[in-house]
Amino acid sequence: MYDIKKIRNFSIIAHIDHGKSTLADRLLEYTGAVEKRDIEEQLLDNMELERERGITIKARAVRFDYKADDGETYRLNLIDTPGHVDFGYEVSRSLTACEGAVLIVDATQGVQAQTLANAYMAVDNDLEILPVINKIDLPSADPAMAKRAVEDIIGIPAEDAPCISAKMGLNIKDVLEKIVTDVPAPKGDPNKPLKALIFDSYYDSYKGVVVYIRVMDGTLSVGDAVQMMHTGAKFDVVEVGTLGAFTLDKKDCLRAGEVGYFTASIKNIGDTTVGDTVTLAENPTPEALPGFKKAQPMVFSGIYPADGSKYGDLKDALEKLQLNDASLVFEPETSIALGFGFRAGFLGLLHMEIIDERLEREFNLDLITTAPSVIYELVLTDGETIHVDNPSNYPDPQRISEAREPIVKASIITPTEYVGSVMQFCLDRRGTYIDMKYLDTTRAELIYEMPLNEIVYDFFDTLKSKTKGYASLDYEPIGYRKSDLVKLDILLNGELIDALSFIVHADRAYSRGRKIVEKLRDNIPRQLFELPVQAAIGGKVIARETVRAMRKDVLAKCYGGDITRKKKLLEKQKEGKKRMRSFGSVQVPSEAFMAVLKMDDES
Amino acid sequence: MNTVALYIHVPFCVRKCNYCAFYSLPAVGEDTKDAYLEALQKQADSFPEHRQVSSVYFGGGTPSLFGSERLVAMLDFLRTRFLIREDAEITLEVNPGTVDLPFLQRVRQGGFNRLSVGMQSGCDKELAFLGRIHTADMVKTCVENAREAGFDNVSLDLIFALPGQSKESFAASLDAAFALKPDHLSVYSLQLEEGTPFFESRTTLTFPTEEEEEGQYDLLCQKAREAGFEHYEISSFAKEGRYSRHNLHYWQRGEYLGFGPAAHSHWNGKRFANLPDLEGYLADPLGCNDYKKAERIDETEMWEEDVLLGLRTSFGISAHLVPAPPVERMIALGLMVRRGENVALTEKGFRVSNAIIGQLLL
Repeated sequence: MYDIKKIRNFSIIAHIDHGKSTLADRLLEYTGAVEKRDIEEQLLDNMELERERGITIKARAVRFDYKADDGETYRLNLIDTPGHVDFGYEVSRSLTACEGAVLIVDATQGVQAQTLANAYMAVDNDLEILPVINKIDLPSADPAMAKRAVEDIIGIPAEDAPCISAKMGLNIKDVLEKIVTDVPAPKGDPNKPLKALIFDSYYDSYKGVVVYIRVMDGTLSVGDAVQMMHTGAKFDVVEVGTLGAFTLDKKDCLRAGEVGYFTASIKNIGDTTVGDTVTLAENPTPEALPGFKKAQPMVFSGIYPADGSKYGDLKDALEKLQLNDASLVFEPETSIALGFGFRAGFLGLLHMEIIDERLEREFNLDLITTAPSVIYELVLTDGETIHVDNPSNYPDPQRISEAREPIVKASIITPTEYVGSVMQFCLDRRGTYIDMKYLDTTRAELIYEMPLNEIVYDFFDTLKSKTKGYASLDYEPIGYRKSDLVKLDILLNGELIDALSFIVHADRAYSRGRKIVEKLRDNIPRQLFELPVQAAIGGKVIARETVRAMRKDVLAKCYGGDITRKKKLLEKQKEGKKRMRSFGSVQVPSEAFMAVLKMDDES
Repeated sequence: MNTVALYIHVPFCVRKCNYCAFYSLPAVGEDTKDAYLEALQKQADSFPEHRQVSSVYFGGGTPSLFGSERLVAMLDFLRTRFLIREDAEITLEVNPGTVDLPFLQRVRQGGFNRLSVGMQSGCDKELAFLGRIHTADMVKTCVENAREAGFDNVSLDLIFALPGQSKESFAASLDAAFALKPDHLSVYSLQLEEGTPFFESRTTLTFPTEEEEEGQYDLLCQKAREAGFEHYEISSFAKEGRYSRHNLHYWQRGEYLGFGPAAHSHWNGKRFANLPDLEGYLADPLGCNDYKKAERIDETEMWEEDVLLGLRTSFGISAHLVPAPPVERMIALGLMVRRGENVALTEKGFRVSNAIIGQLLL
């Protein structure tokens, strides 16, 4: 029975590891939507990688019924949100599809940076926020402290917040009751022209793209001709339905207030952008939903197969990933050093890491990923402004009249004992101090304006290690700022290795260049001659190391005419050759590039 | 080249040396030795062709432990199955700790005309460290006895790059070796082989650096040159053309038959080996090998073998076998030279032959 007053659309906001998926599982279990034995760890995060890292990468949604204490049965739609800073836009769209949000606060740790960022976002979207204090089963739990933190930091009452343990299944019902009583029913009119929000989609090889929507107004039925208001694409709806825990449940239509899916033989996931408005082609709504943005890649890097012959496999794999991830963009790129590969754009560093790992894990590829780059804005001497995301395209410094780099506003929440070292670290990374707030007696929030290129260079991992894993980070772009940038080149035997070039602030060029030539010296195997390794800006060498010539290699004895070892060695050399990059007479194994490009240091 | 070379493996040792991974067993009884002689003859008998033989090599293990009578008997037997040429090179490997003058006289009379003496070092401390059963003095006596027994072709084996070995100590070994006026010298750097005592204790041993090993190698080349030796193969030096013809046969991709467990053969377009199993060999000397499994060597492999074996010698290989650009680079770096129609490695090139061959073949 469709009754808009009995619908509750909500999402769960939590910091990584703070129990979002566990709570979701318990809600489904409690209401009988799933059997306990069906739950494979955490239901909503069904990508292997997500489960391992305990983070949600893509949003998912599920519908379930709950018979409340008032005797009525309510239709609940839980819309999951990605739990990482790179996916802020997706989070905002998922929140727009809801009327309320359950805010999970860890009874032992209080509010964290991403929780805060997402909570503010929920407030901005006029969502009813229901704080829930989790992990009260832990000995170190301090629910009173956590409640106070919610009231002080986010500024919402938390006195009645349910105190639960998602892990132990404690007080789950309190959460459900709160959702029913406090989250408003959706507004909307099923008789108006269709206006539905796309908040997620994925590619299915049988149905084509499956589009997740929240209907704001109107009704979507099988057979309707629909149009995406921003991309303009038109489709005939093949299937509509609601979202079960494990299944898509076919229905005849979806009406205002409801959450569900439709398919329409859509081949290209790019046609169903998150945030776009779906309407009827014949009877369109006069205006689209606000807040649509096209996903903008912020971080770029070159991706190359370690074994050059695997280029085709890499291409297939990227195309397959793109089917489910329209925010992944890539185009072919050729490097003198690394051969054929791709230049890919990502929403952020985590997004890049995820794609990288999925390529390696799900497609069994061995990759060389070049240093991540951001988009620089360059005003040329002829007045033209260009954007450069690839160091190879960086123009001659003579032609640049002003260089600008993207700046973000970074919010770091850290235990107070690390404030000093975090501030020093931000300063080292060219951060500008904006503000500091004590959230409670143990934690502070630091606000810095930072160049994004410092964030992409191993910022988060270093921050974590400086704070024993306690600090959390959130950031948002705030525009471009003039900067003293240089392009640093790396030369092997006097030849420029394009894949190792990167753009860096002039003050940091020397230390970064130094580090790279040292790493190369240690990772390039000895050649038959002395091999100079240099870092240079323009034509000027700023750091130099030498890989010494090979002195003596192991001589396989061929006693008694046994030449099997000699032949085995040759086979080994042949194998190694596949992963070898040649520059003139210099041979560098892919591993050396990987070692250099792996940003595992602090600088 | 239609001649064939013969290799007879004698897998007996008084004790295993600390570095050695070749197939051998502690000394066995006379009965086993008799049975072994019989098995060797059975295997040799299975090759009925009367092919011309240019060289015969008795290696090990410690062939001298087989006893002079059995060695001579085996050689005599081989003469009945193969056409061993009048001028064939017939080498016997000896451990200086196991032979006396009568032994050497007997094998010389029996037809052996070349002696390969396992000297390894001129320093008793190093010999003990290596697990050798002899002293430096015993090497000297052995060579003197060999001369007296009528051997005019004596080769010495040395090992260098030992853990803790100084350049001076290696120089002293070289001086001791040259003082014995050998006709030929084989010098190998110590390799760490799995399954050896050195391998087991590798973490407690300090092996020389690449630079130190290079220093010893340069010293070897220099001293050999001064002593009038020709560096005709990566690890071999010869006086007045006294090359090891048996080994050159290997480097020229000649055919050879190996008798005894773990012995290798190149025959009929295949490379194969007898299994390293004395018991199995005694039970079935004809079946105890992987001949059936072995693949026929295809043309690409022949080419690879021509290059990687041929470049072990200073005579080199036909320049047509390898692409010119890398060769030119190697020549510019002083690692290769042209010798008429051939290209070959220089002494500097011998040092890094694996890397050079890799670049030429891939």
